[in-house]
Amino acid sequence: MKNKKVDFLVVGGGPAGLSAALEAGKRGLKVLLVDEGVRLGGQLVKQTHKFFGHEGTYASVRGFEIAKILVKELKKCKNIEAKTMTSVIGIYEDGVLAWDRKANEVFRIESEYTLIATGASEKYIAFENNDLPGIYGAGAVQTLMNQFGVLPGENFLIIGSGNIGLIVAYQLIQAGANVKAIVEITDKVGGYVVHLNKIRRLGVPVLLKHTIVRALGNSRVEGAVIAEVDESYNVIPGTEKELVVDTICLAVGLAPSIELAAMAGAEVIYIPELGGYIVRRDEFMRTSVPNLFVAGDVSGIEEATTAMLEGKIVGLTVSSEKKKMNLLGEIKALLRELEDFRRGPVSERVRRGLSKMGIKTVSGGFRTEVQRSKGPIGKLRAVIECPQPIPCNPCETVCAFGAISTGGNINGIPWVDYDKCTGCGLCALKCPGLAIFMVKEEVEKKEAIVGIPYELLPVPEEGEKVLGTDRDGKPVCEAVVEKVVKSKDKTHLVYLRVPLKYVDTVRGFVVSPREKYEFVCRCEEVTVQDIEKAIDEGYTDYEELRRYLRIGMGPCGGRTCRLLTLMILARKTGKRMEDLSPGTFRPPTIPVPFNAFLEGDKN
Amino acid sequence: MKTKVVIIGAGMVGASIAFHLTRLGEKDVFILEKSYVSSGSTGRCAGGIRQQWSTRNNVRLAMRSVEWFKRMKEDTCMDVEYKQGGYLILSFDEKEAEEFAENVKMQKEEGLEVEVLTPKQVKRRFPYVNVEGVKLATFCPTDGHANPHLANFAYIRRSVENGARLFTKTEVKEIDVSNGTVKGVWTNAGYIECEVVINAAGPWSKDVGEMVGIDLPTESYRHQILVTEPLENMMDPMIISFSGNFYIRQTRHGSFLMGQGDKDERPGINRKVTAKFLLEMVNKMSRRFPFLRNLRVIRQWSGEYNMSPDAQPIVGLSENVSGYFYAVGFSGHGFMVAPAVGEAIAEWIVFGKPKSVDVSQLSLERFKGKEFLKERSVV
Repeated sequence: MKNKKVDFLVVGGGPAGLSAALEAGKRGLKVLLVDEGVRLGGQLVKQTHKFFGHEGTYASVRGFEIAKILVKELKKCKNIEAKTMTSVIGIYEDGVLAWDRKANEVFRIESEYTLIATGASEKYIAFENNDLPGIYGAGAVQTLMNQFGVLPGENFLIIGSGNIGLIVAYQLIQAGANVKAIVEITDKVGGYVVHLNKIRRLGVPVLLKHTIVRALGNSRVEGAVIAEVDESYNVIPGTEKELVVDTICLAVGLAPSIELAAMAGAEVIYIPELGGYIVRRDEFMRTSVPNLFVAGDVSGIEEATTAMLEGKIVGLTVSSEKKKMNLLGEIKALLRELEDFRRGPVSERVRRGLSKMGIKTVSGGFRTEVQRSKGPIGKLRAVIECPQPIPCNPCETVCAFGAISTGGNINGIPWVDYDKCTGCGLCALKCPGLAIFMVKEEVEKKEAIVGIPYELLPVPEEGEKVLGTDRDGKPVCEAVVEKVVKSKDKTHLVYLRVPLKYVDTVRGFVVSPREKYEFVCRCEEVTVQDIEKAIDEGYTDYEELRRYLRIGMGPCGGRTCRLLTLMILARKTGKRMEDLSPGTFRPPTIPVPFNAFLEGDKN
Repeated sequence: MKTKVVIIGAGMVGASIAFHLTRLGEKDVFILEKSYVSSGSTGRCAGGIRQQWSTRNNVRLAMRSVEWFKRMKEDTCMDVEYKQGGYLILSFDEKEAEEFAENVKMQKEEGLEVEVLTPKQVKRRFPYVNVEGVKLATFCPTDGHANPHLANFAYIRRSVENGARLFTKTEVKEIDVSNGTVKGVWTNAGYIECEVVINAAGPWSKDVGEMVGIDLPTESYRHQILVTEPLENMMDPMIISFSGNFYIRQTRHGSFLMGQGDKDERPGINRKVTAKFLLEMVNKMSRRFPFLRNLRVIRQWSGEYNMSPDAQPIVGLSENVSGYFYAVGFSGHGFMVAPAVGEAIAEWIVFGKPKSVDVSQLSLERFKGKEFLKERSVV
């Protein structure tokens, strides 16, 4: 059996594992990173939304792009070997065995230090008919949709309103699916307010104190029954509702994947706040087994950002021991960063969980008040609708004029200094929560401009008429697209002209639904509607219609469309077919390339 | 029925006259078209809009027309695909090249922006042209092209919106003249009483002249044209050559339109097309524009140049028949000068004389005995 001898084995190539491998690799350790997936990056590869945090942890970069950056770094480092499609099958007393599934070969790994960064797996819930095809975990939906480009259904019910449920709902809508509802069994939404607002603006209802009772269907999901629950989460009889959906997506939480660490003998404890059974570790991510570390979700369900920071801490700690380097300063800086990230209300559960494990955390010390002022009327400016303290500050760092501040801590609620804001819109393009809007009142015209960050297709054109929608996705007024600022990262800023009284109401829009086209001329894409409109405008001869609309001017020369057009013409004008001129027939009968006529060299 | 002005022909010239008349407040206008709008020369032409001519008259008319093309979208609320991509004229003949130098001098005197290019400069600016054999070229950046159908429809539609009436499938059979004055027209749909008749009949100008006993020295000659499948827009200018006998332009739709003249054509209306034309064009154009070789020909058709003896338009008010105007003999460039000609005739009718353009040298009387200057810049 092949044997690989390394300084540092990293199991799991997600944000934690990649970050740890990089820190150790850069410092000269021989690193082996193994990952089960076909591509490195863990959950990052299926995340198409922009991440929160600060620039150092790739805030405002989309998840899959973060994976690309980390993997690129990894490839630059010669002493890191990364193996994909490779599963560690056991951590034994006498070594580690891994199965390279590509080569179908089991090999042995000897390492001085080991990091288990195996992440988490999705929780499941029991309900009637939950074995029907069409019921997926949220991660599976993301893998199919975002990694492999397969949309598993058209009409979705999502169970669970944590960040994952909210994000999947948003991504499904981006991919063209309908989200009929999100049901949440507790009385409040679990995910970030800005994620919630994004989907509310798209009109997705979030039903609190609701759960799924059963899936409907014989051979696959054809619907679902949901119902309200009481304080003890029991279904209240008589409140059942039926939804017509073809796919049910479960986003009911994650459970740390502790198997390998437990096999290795690491102490496992039950802390519900951190996701249930987790591996006990100290603040440097060390488990109870010497030289065995954990990082990321396996040591408590949290964020990609914190996973990266924890991974870095492990990489530095291992390096400092192996290479006898003093890296304490850098490690302490990362610990402080973690501490700062966890100060806010969204980390309250995590803080409670960590303190149960004996890890000290701090809370508070950041601004919690929302800015009252909406700035001077009539000036083009940013309006931030980010009312919940979350660890995120790209708006602050991207502003070239220093007009936005989170008040000294990354958890603080951002405020705008309207003397400095120039209305450039960069913050709106950058905000991962799509929570910044641009506004300008034009009082004399009784109109206003509202700039809306937009990530759906189709992107409207300037001058296009759309329906302005409110924060719940309800249409409130007609609006005209004034300007579209397209951005390379696909968050576009669409400026709408709306009636003045809706300046504070319109926060989204719907592009007029695609018309149902009935094509007559397929070469030049002329529809029945085009022809009828032209006839109404006074073009009543086949040749006139041809010249006006290009009917029959394409490669087929009118084979399909001539008769159809004449029939429409007869119907609309009340003339008999035999009284209409069928127009001229012109050679060549089929398109012929120039070089078919040439003798000798044809190119 | 009764109206003040009858325009015979709903091509670009007739449309332009109607547009300007209604614009100036004369709404008592009937446009009579024996077939359908844009069925004659306009609907068959390549849509070039050129100001580089060898005679001052044509340069002036064309320059004035460009002003109208520039505002056509605003005037008519229709995008007629007008593009000022320039006209590149290639010369393959030393003697012609010398004439070009004179033309350019005259054109510059008229205020036209035009430059002389060496073959090398042509290659650098328009790399898709094979410059082999090119002696010299001239380029005018404000020349351009438009979709002739849409421009024709645009002027007609705006005229009708302004109050003019359009009668298609309405053919004038006779013109009623008494005491040397126009009284009305007989059509297949009945009699229309009127004070003014304008002959804008394009290929049929001679017939409509004969209706009032005027012998218009015009003859119609067939010209053929072909179109290819579309490519992304890559060729801004219209490229033509008199000595090379071709023109080519890319439409906004992406297709390439091209054609040539044929000295062997006999006068008359002939809407058939020939294999000879197709073969000659394909061979000639593949050499000159090698990228065309992989492109496919979609369609070919033909139309008429209504030629005058000096290849310049014949525009004026009859000296013998009161109320009878003619705007004929455009010799293959009626589309591009139609806006200015229409303006002149409309002003003539409304104000008693043209104010914005001088068309005095374009009257029929110029052919009486004395010598006249022939326009040489015609493909």
